Amino acid sequence: MRNITKIFGHLKANDAVDFKLREKSIHGLLGENGAGKTTLMNVLYGLYRQEEGEIYIHGQKTDISSPLKAISSGIGMVHQHFMLARPLTVVENIMLGRKSSRGIFLDTKKVAAEIRELSDKYHLMVDPYARIWQLSVGEQQRVEILTTIYQGANILILDEPTAVLTPQEAETLFSILRQMRDDGKSMILITHKLEEILSVVDDVTILRDGKMINSLKVTPATTKEELSRLMVGRDVLFDFYPVAVKPGKERISMKNLSVRNDKDFSAVRNFSLSVAEGEIVGLAGVDGNGQKELAEALTGLRPAEGGLIFINGKEAVNKPPVFYINEGVAHIPEDRQSMGLAMGFCVSKNLVIKRFYQQPYAKNGLLNYKNIKDHAKKMIQDFQIKTNSTEDITRDLSGGNQQKVILARELADDPSVLIANQPTRGLDVGATEYVRSRLLEARSKGSAVLLISADIEEIIQLSDRIAVIYNGELMGVLPKGSQPEAIGLLMMGKRQGDNASVKENY
Amino acid sequence: MDNIFTATFFVSIFASTIRLATPILLTALGEIYTQRSGILNLGLEGTMTMSAMAGFVCAYFSKSLFIGFLGGIVIGMICSAFMAFLSVTIRANQVIAGTALTILGIGFSSFIYRIIFGIQKLPPQVESLTKFDVPLLSRIPYIGTIFFQHNLIVYLAYILAIINWVVLEKTTFGLNVKAVGEHPRAADSKGISVTKIRYTAVIIGGAFAGLSGAFMSIAYMNSFSDTMIAGRGFIAVAVVVFARWNPLRAMAGSLLFGIASALQIRFQAIGVPIPNQFLLMLPYLVTIIALITVSKKAEFPSAYTKPYSRMER
Amino acid sequence: MPVSKKIIKITQAIFPALLMVAGALLSGAVLIVIAGNDPIAAYKALLEGAFSNSYRISETFVKAIPLMLMAQGISIAFKNQIWNIGAGGQFTIGTILSVVVCLYFKLPPIPTIILSFIFAFIGGALWGGLAGWLKARFNANEVITTLMLDYIATFLLAYLVYGPMMDPNGFGYPQSAVIEKVLRLPKLIVGGRLHAGLFVAIAILLLMILFWRSTLGFKIELAGQGNDVSRYAGINNKKIIIVAMLLSGGLSGIAGWNEIHGIHFRLMTDLAGSYGSIAIVIALLGNLNPLGIAISAYFFSVLIVGGNTMQNLTGIPYSLVDIIQGLIVVFVITRTAFKAESIQSFFRKRRYQHNG
Repeated sequence: MRNITKIFGHLKANDAVDFKLREKSIHGLLGENGAGKTTLMNVLYGLYRQEEGEIYIHGQKTDISSPLKAISSGIGMVHQHFMLARPLTVVENIMLGRKSSRGIFLDTKKVAAEIRELSDKYHLMVDPYARIWQLSVGEQQRVEILTTIYQGANILILDEPTAVLTPQEAETLFSILRQMRDDGKSMILITHKLEEILSVVDDVTILRDGKMINSLKVTPATTKEELSRLMVGRDVLFDFYPVAVKPGKERISMKNLSVRNDKDFSAVRNFSLSVAEGEIVGLAGVDGNGQKELAEALTGLRPAEGGLIFINGKEAVNKPPVFYINEGVAHIPEDRQSMGLAMGFCVSKNLVIKRFYQQPYAKNGLLNYKNIKDHAKKMIQDFQIKTNSTEDITRDLSGGNQQKVILARELADDPSVLIANQPTRGLDVGATEYVRSRLLEARSKGSAVLLISADIEEIIQLSDRIAVIYNGELMGVLPKGSQPEAIGLLMMGKRQGDNASVKENY
Repeated sequence: MDNIFTATFFVSIFASTIRLATPILLTALGEIYTQRSGILNLGLEGTMTMSAMAGFVCAYFSKSLFIGFLGGIVIGMICSAFMAFLSVTIRANQVIAGTALTILGIGFSSFIYRIIFGIQKLPPQVESLTKFDVPLLSRIPYIGTIFFQHNLIVYLAYILAIINWVVLEKTTFGLNVKAVGEHPRAADSKGISVTKIRYTAVIIGGAFAGLSGAFMSIAYMNSFSDTMIAGRGFIAVAVVVFARWNPLRAMAGSLLFGIASALQIRFQAIGVPIPNQFLLMLPYLVTIIALITVSKKAEFPSAYTKPYSRMER
Repeated sequence: MPVSKKIIKITQAIFPALLMVAGALLSGAVLIVIAGNDPIAAYKALLEGAFSNSYRISETFVKAIPLMLMAQGISIAFKNQIWNIGAGGQFTIGTILSVVVCLYFKLPPIPTIILSFIFAFIGGALWGGLAGWLKARFNANEVITTLMLDYIATFLLAYLVYGPMMDPNGFGYPQSAVIEKVLRLPKLIVGGRLHAGLFVAIAILLLMILFWRSTLGFKIELAGQGNDVSRYAGINNKKIIIVAMLLSGGLSGIAGWNEIHGIHFRLMTDLAGSYGSIAIVIALLGNLNPLGIAISAYFFSVLIVGGNTMQNLTGIPYSLVDIIQGLIVVFVITRTAFKAESIQSFFRKRRYQHNG
């Protein structure tokens, strides 16, 4: 791939990226969230069209206009979200969209035999007649891999394949990938886990902010530190904001908290951390390491499997969301469009969805529209929300203004605790700055802020202490002013010092 | 009273069960395709009424029952194409689109019928489709009367149940329909047009409902009235859920509805004071129970009543 | 807000509805022409049929009352994104319990009427709430369950009027005995059927306007915006689904009470007729707004009452009214597609203009 540029709106997701994949190799594509890895691969797979640049396959210039074209060019992709119909069998899923040798009738037997053969060859251990819903996540992923091989793919793109796997399953996957490489296939592994790069990959290309930073061969001499530096970048100068007040008493604390995710896997394990009044604790971590589940457990939206939560000294574990709201726990959710806002409601109503039944917005069970509207007018002014009127539908606002509506609602009553999960993701520079300044203001007003972010720069800028989560576990707590490399290493799963020093820090 | 439960009684009950189940089965068979592709067509009642009217009019003027059935099928396909347009292209709420189609279908069929025939003392009639006794088999005592002395459409319906099962389970088309209803994005990514498959599935559903509607007017009642479908379109929807989207189980479901109505008609005729309404209720109750059990399993089409757009995630 | 500005706002809110009605009437006119008739004469006959004398005018209100009540009920479920299509069944249970109270409870007139009202409400509410509970507990598709419960109610009614509740002096007709004269709602005009149920309907209308300004109404609407956001806001979604369906069914139950005490005075088979589906159309045309629903309920009952006269005078089939209804729904949903992604947001958009 040469000189690939892909633009979304005014954002350059890929900026003149060169990418070269050797035959018979496993190539790691490394970068932080939003570095442009997935975009680049979607261009290769025909899901996006690049604005500039060309793609060459085996030296031949190829125009990849659709996934079908990609498949016929020998490129296969294993998505993070599996493209499998759950009630159908493995063989049915693989036959889908493929010409049958028996005309209008399915050639199930023939395909099943071929699948079995391929499965044996690569030790995929897939039963062609099993139904998808009966399979574990790891098995489903192997079905996806099998599908691409069956379609004749020589180049496989795997989008963060280990994100959904247990360590044992990941190990199995790696040995399969090595086997496939030895058999002549080439693979691209999108990842942000350094261990994976070091253990399975032959070459690595590092992207940062849509640009190709470096491409190198992985040798035994390659170190995590080296890669981490390339990935996070050294050239960023961090401005520190001053500490406003000395932290006061603990507002929220977790003791050995464990939470499961939607698929009933353990997402947060034995997590202990506390945030005090007038303090911002940054929780750094690569996406999908349990942050969402943690934030939801801390606001009553998700049951805790074990452990304790204290809010303002009160035991709060597994209390309903209303309890947290009443204790003044504000929450800026990661998914602002489906959780943070009622998109079909107008701005004034969205500003009161947590308090509409309280004075002065309601009395005797009836809403007071005048007060709701007056409140909205004040909030629109205070938080600089750009909208024509208080009655504009929230869906019609820009992303930044939608986030400001959430901020206004959550910060209006000076919360005692604020859980902010990826509060600036997807926002433009201006809105990002604004949100950050509001978080600092909340701190100076005495809120205990837990800032969950995958953006190291943001974490370093705002936090008084920096905690790092990896695979649902607390990797360590670093003091203000820690170097990005140090944080980056913990984010990649390297535990801080020994266990004793971790404990000392919180 | 004691001697009504004779062999003849049971034979005639079972024979009419099979006949009464036919229109429900036909419509349900088509709706299985439709729902499997992720569309809930609640407009079948209107579609069937339109086809009953069209089938009757075509048969009346052409003096050919074949043309009548053809007319019913074509009108059924047109009605359901409209449903497909509303639910797939316009992406309208399918419940409301179906309600609209039902109201429109009943309204139009009655309107057109009245325009063509005006008000007549004796409703116009067509010669009904005659029974076709299957050679030899129909002479088997009891069994012959129950299974092999019906008109051709009845046999066809049960044969189609088997054919449809084969189509859904053994052909690429059937697989495409199921995949589109389960995971439209996956189907799309493998080059299957979700729109095309859904249109096809809904229109096939309309063809079956059309045949069934025409059956009602020219092979069952040999006249037309705008109330003659009497909820069979909705019952077919219930049968589809009851049958968990399987054509063979739909046969069982239709027969359950059929035997309930057969017993009800017979009891009413001879004045047996048995509360047959509970009998009639039974299939609906069973459907609710079936629904409770399937809602937890993976059998429910995942994309049920959800419009698909490539843009949304 | 100045009066003139308010008028403009209201006009803005109802204009699209008027446009859709006009479109449907125009399409109807085209059909009349195709059928070889004069559309102007036809619509004139329709209006005459609805308004030419006091009996007919009173009939338009008589028909509008139950339709409006049911449509208000449906609007509660629809705002919650629950597609209750079984209002007819909830209505039927209301009629049954009303008559049961009147015939068998042997209480003085006033307590009987009140108890009958309460029972009708509770009966309809439980019938609807059952579907809500099945949805909350088992995630059972409410479209199917409300439809099934509709049929079950119809057969239950048939069983009662053919069986235990059949009028012993009724010559074997499938109907119950009539309720006593003192239990009937007083007539409002001489020579017409309009009865005091009108005041009940008006009271419910006012209550509904209040309801959507209440915190419970807000909760129901918020829960209709999506599971995640309403949970986030501290709402118990499962409870709200059940509550919404209880209220939705309860209002249809009241419609049943109204028909028993005001019009029929007894149980007969199939009292609900096609009210359930007409009420859906009314709720949609009225943008799920209480006042809008009242207006469109009246409009539909004019069509229904006048439609019969039109058929008698001009020979144009009554079914034209059905066609107009169906076309209105088609216009409503088609317009939605061009305005926004979902029918839901369409309603909200309109409602806010109305409120603001």
